Amino acid sequence: MIIKGFFSALIALAVLVQPTSADETCMSPYMAKIVGQEDYVYIWTLGLEGVGDGEDKLVTVDVNPDSETYARVIHSISMGGRHEAHHSGLTDDRRYLWASGLDTSKIFIFDVHTDPAAPKLHRTIDDFVEKTGGVVGPHTNYALPGRMLITGLSNNRDHGGRTGMAEYTNGGDFITSVWMPTDDSLQGAEKSGNFADGYGYDARALPRRNVLVTSSFTGWNNYMMNLGKMMGDAEAMKRFGNTVVIWDLHSRKPKKILDVPGAPLEIRCAWGSRSNYCFTTTALTSKVWLIYEDEAGEWQAKAVADIGDASKIPLPVDISISADDNHLWINTWNDGLTRLYDISDPFAPKQIMEEQIGEQINMVSQSWDGERLYYTSSLLANWDKTTASEGNDLQYFKLYKWDGSSLELEFNLDFVELGLGAPHQMRFGAHALYGGMTAQSPSGLITTPPAH
Amino acid sequence: MRGTLLLLIWAWSAVALCAPHEHKPPVVLAPGYAPLSFTPPEPGSYALPAMGSAADGAVIDSDGNSAQLHDFLGGKPTVLSFIFTTCDDVNGCPLATYVMRSVQDALQADPSTADKARLVSFSFDPVFDTPDVIDAYGSQFRAGDFDWQFLTTEGATTLDPILSAYGQWVIRDYDENGEYKGTMSHILRVFLIDESRQIRNIYSTSFLHADTVANDVRSLLKEAAAYPLADTGA
Repeated sequence: MIIKGFFSALIALAVLVQPTSADETCMSPYMAKIVGQEDYVYIWTLGLEGVGDGEDKLVTVDVNPDSETYARVIHSISMGGRHEAHHSGLTDDRRYLWASGLDTSKIFIFDVHTDPAAPKLHRTIDDFVEKTGGVVGPHTNYALPGRMLITGLSNNRDHGGRTGMAEYTNGGDFITSVWMPTDDSLQGAEKSGNFADGYGYDARALPRRNVLVTSSFTGWNNYMMNLGKMMGDAEAMKRFGNTVVIWDLHSRKPKKILDVPGAPLEIRCAWGSRSNYCFTTTALTSKVWLIYEDEAGEWQAKAVADIGDASKIPLPVDISISADDNHLWINTWNDGLTRLYDISDPFAPKQIMEEQIGEQINMVSQSWDGERLYYTSSLLANWDKTTASEGNDLQYFKLYKWDGSSLELEFNLDFVELGLGAPHQMRFGAHALYGGMTAQSPSGLITTPPAH
Repeated sequence: MRGTLLLLIWAWSAVALCAPHEHKPPVVLAPGYAPLSFTPPEPGSYALPAMGSAADGAVIDSDGNSAQLHDFLGGKPTVLSFIFTTCDDVNGCPLATYVMRSVQDALQADPSTADKARLVSFSFDPVFDTPDVIDAYGSQFRAGDFDWQFLTTEGATTLDPILSAYGQWVIRDYDENGEYKGTMSHILRVFLIDESRQIRNIYSTSFLHADTVANDVRSLLKEAAAYPLADTGA
């Protein structure tokens, strides 16, 4: 069985080099991947006042159907307060999970290799703002070889949207930071349209093209504001990002600023070896945008599809690209729908199905084979809904099975009922990633073979 | 143990997977085997911020002499890779050695860089990779008197602290009877280390290309020329 596993791994390796990938789901390509059954999902969870201890948590759920504790919360670590838990990411060797707080700008580094069933806090970075020269709101934790790239959302001068990115060693030591290009500091970048706002959000890399792509959201003043209040504040609503920036990945210098109006959020790049494009969706204008390299080698941005009725503010949030680059799951937070788009023609995506997942919806993570889709509900502490139209379907972690045509609910964990909070980013864990390793012997020479 | 039946895949861009020979499908080569598909930034036009000190440890050179790893780091830019000579994954250790040989060729072709950099190939398989083995292995790749060192260790006691410091964790492959199959998986990482023994870059499979590595070496040489060690007190 192990041998079969390795043959399968080799087959997958060959396919990967093509390359392809589900986004197991949307993580950095520079890391080990789980292509079979994941054992655990680590859920970075917002603390809610009056729910359990009220603190942010890293929650571990057993998702291996062969386990006696399948579909149960088996571990939880509370973080000593609320930090606006939001995104998380694994290091390239998957030994550590980085999880950041948008409010306090703290980054928590969890050891997920010593016991994948019980992550433990390894290190806390509490001087992110100081080290980066004023970047606030660490968001995306993205693995590069031997290091983590951290995008920011804000700054400590005006708590607006101008921000930067930082790099840390896998061990958590600060390396460097860079600010997003703005009109008054283009840093050599070409401003191709009307905007050079300097905002930040997500980041993805295409090393074969030496390209890093970043998107733009909004600053601390907005993401920590009550959603209703913000929506009624015309000035606040002007302070959203309208740009995607193309960077030279090797030099970390911005090359071109593209207009993508309406807060482009998650970035997912195609995996085909000749597919030099990425998708993003705009939260405010509810569109799918294609970021692509044209035949002349120039990077461009083009709105290629609508997502629902923009006038009803469906608010597209997380997206997830399929293994074959043919499908894109798009969640719209406000109406609680997950929508599947056919993106086989990346210039003409078409919605082919939709399913109500909950009262609200945010993140989606799919298994390598695309057969399992995990959903969580929370967007931001001050934006989340507090009342449901029916039932208690506000803060959940759900697993759906996807057979290629329909979604079937496998289990539903109510995170309020369980006293946990508001679940956000999900990452997968598996024992087999660390097979035979011991802390004492990285060479594997002093160890006992894994039991079978 | 739960999870051992996982079909594990190491991302092509990051990880070397060394596995049995049987039934291998055609392998698509890593980018490092092909001409670079973009114009890399000019040497010296970008920063390579320090990522921390390169660790030391007890090693054995290809002549069988005991030494310290630091004896082979520092003084000039060094490219350090962790390999084992029996690795048969073309996109793993052989890629690292192929790229390093190409870096050697590029630097050697220019008299101004021919003796200004060093390559170090470090084995994490002390059982098989004896000094004689790494000497024979190295002789296939070292060109002339280029400073390319091939190192091994006495065993786990000296090897493990070095691997731990460089984040090189190995999964040894066992069969159903618990017997070691002679193969292992590891993350391919190649390190660029400056004359002051600071790590300045780390490359994995998708990033490892001779053109960019050689340019990074040239960048460090330009930096060293602009800021000699004697002037910085380093």
